[in-house]
Amino acid sequence: QEAAKYGKKVMVLDFVTPTPLGNSWGLGGTCVNVGCIPKKLMHQAALLGQALQDSRKFGWQFAEEVKHNWMTMTESVQNYIGSLNWGYRVALREKKVTYENAYGEFVGPHTIKATNKRGVEKLYTAERFLIATGERPRYLGIPGDKEYCISSDDLFSLPYCPGKTLVVGASYVALECAGFLAGLGLDVTVMVRSILLRGFDQDMANKIGAYMEEHGISFIREFVPIKVEQVEKGTPGKLRVTAKSTMGNQVIAGEYNTVLLAIGRDACTRNIGLDKVGVKINEKTGKIPVNDVEQTNVPYIYAVGDILQDKLELTPVAIQAGRLLVQRLYAGATRKCDYVYVPTTVFTPLEYGACGYSEEAAVEKFGEENIEVYHSHFWPLEWTVPSRDNNKCYAKIICNIQDNERVIGFHVLGPNAGEVTQGFAAAIKCGLTKEQLDSTIGIHPVCAEV
Amino acid sequence: MGWEEKQVRGYPEFVETAQRYHGRPIFALFCGDKDAEGRSWCPDCVTAEPVVRKELHHMPDDSVFIYCLVGDRAYWKDPNNEFRKNLKLTGVPTLLKYGTPQKLVEEECFKAELVRMLFTED
Repeated sequence: QEAAKYGKKVMVLDFVTPTPLGNSWGLGGTCVNVGCIPKKLMHQAALLGQALQDSRKFGWQFAEEVKHNWMTMTESVQNYIGSLNWGYRVALREKKVTYENAYGEFVGPHTIKATNKRGVEKLYTAERFLIATGERPRYLGIPGDKEYCISSDDLFSLPYCPGKTLVVGASYVALECAGFLAGLGLDVTVMVRSILLRGFDQDMANKIGAYMEEHGISFIREFVPIKVEQVEKGTPGKLRVTAKSTMGNQVIAGEYNTVLLAIGRDACTRNIGLDKVGVKINEKTGKIPVNDVEQTNVPYIYAVGDILQDKLELTPVAIQAGRLLVQRLYAGATRKCDYVYVPTTVFTPLEYGACGYSEEAAVEKFGEENIEVYHSHFWPLEWTVPSRDNNKCYAKIICNIQDNERVIGFHVLGPNAGEVTQGFAAAIKCGLTKEQLDSTIGIHPVCAEV
Repeated sequence: MGWEEKQVRGYPEFVETAQRYHGRPIFALFCGDKDAEGRSWCPDCVTAEPVVRKELHHMPDDSVFIYCLVGDRAYWKDPNNEFRKNLKLTGVPTLLKYGTPQKLVEEECFKAELVRMLFTED
């Protein structure tokens, strides 16, 4: 849309290869269809369940036991996503961007072949190309994984309640899904190979895991599934999962209605003909290395988003990179995408917002003697009356002593972590120091004042 | 088969007609009432109607096109009228595919390309 604004002739090729279970979706990419949007809505559904429980302590009276209907929630979520898909179609049309629901692959210099779902092929040429094909969930490569397991690609439109669920993985996808499924009243177990939230501050990751465990989610640590078998057909059916310990020869088995795989995502760069035009990719990870203006090794081919090597995999980062790229190409701008101090939030039952260095990364980069960590537990006022945990919410900032105690890491664990973090991220980008933070008077009574 | 048109007036008639054709693709155009000379109080509806009618042949076979007059200007301006409350309509003219989130509102209905996209999308 940005390029069309500058008068360029633009075409978008979007195609979703169906999941092993046959699932597909509309225009908008992962975030809109099987990522951030449905995830946050279902997380909200779980939070509302908790709020209903708390409400009794605040005086609301209702006799019936409160139950959750999976189909009602899923229908509303899918309906909203449908309106977004449609909105994008209208927006592209209005801005005169040509849209084809077809699978694009390079066949030669400046030339792409587009194949639609009926197998009809068309060839297109262009001056420049932008690859933003994203990633898809990885499968385990064990017997029964593609036939019986689901991934996040299937979860948000599942036409039946998943029931007793085993989540395999310890990524934020795994923990967020486990979190809201448990919040909706389902029996959830998480099977973890080694650590939680690799790449995130481990102090915070462990607090998140502990909170989830105390609130009814079982964890099976240091095991990996080796086989999935179907015990009973149905919607949901019953599956038996056999798992082996990573520390020895112990083998265990369990039965679940649904097995959700969330062990990582692989870049969609292997089957789009990049070899035909000479675009280099990292053979091991499939990611594309680019320079600081998002250009691949082939000058007329650019890339943005999750497929980039060594860049944060976040929707707003991809959007910003794409917009700035187009402005540099066609509007004479020079601003490059700033990948430093990007705030993020993990929407686990106890939300975690972060911006900047984790404690481990700060120690590694600056040396333990040069950083100072300030931290505090806090008890949200809203949690006092319903007697919810008084020592779980937590915030810490990491400061660089050698640079005026500049804040280089911000971490908060508590309700509305995303909302809290956004403002602090802007302050950190402006060079916030501990002294400035101390001299900022807090808003009372809110969590953020800590 | 081709497609057929049903003309209705008011909310209850609209709902009854839509339910009667459940199972077939249903498209609906909502406009302000017309006076004795056949002119609507809603100027955008006057502009949109011929554009929409010209694209009707793009609707899939077996479709039902419901042309619905919502009421007079006073009824429409009431924020609690049934079309606003139950069908979530925000303006007239509105062209929508019943039972889906796909719709075009006000000036979007003037664009033949968008109307055609609504009729042919799957």
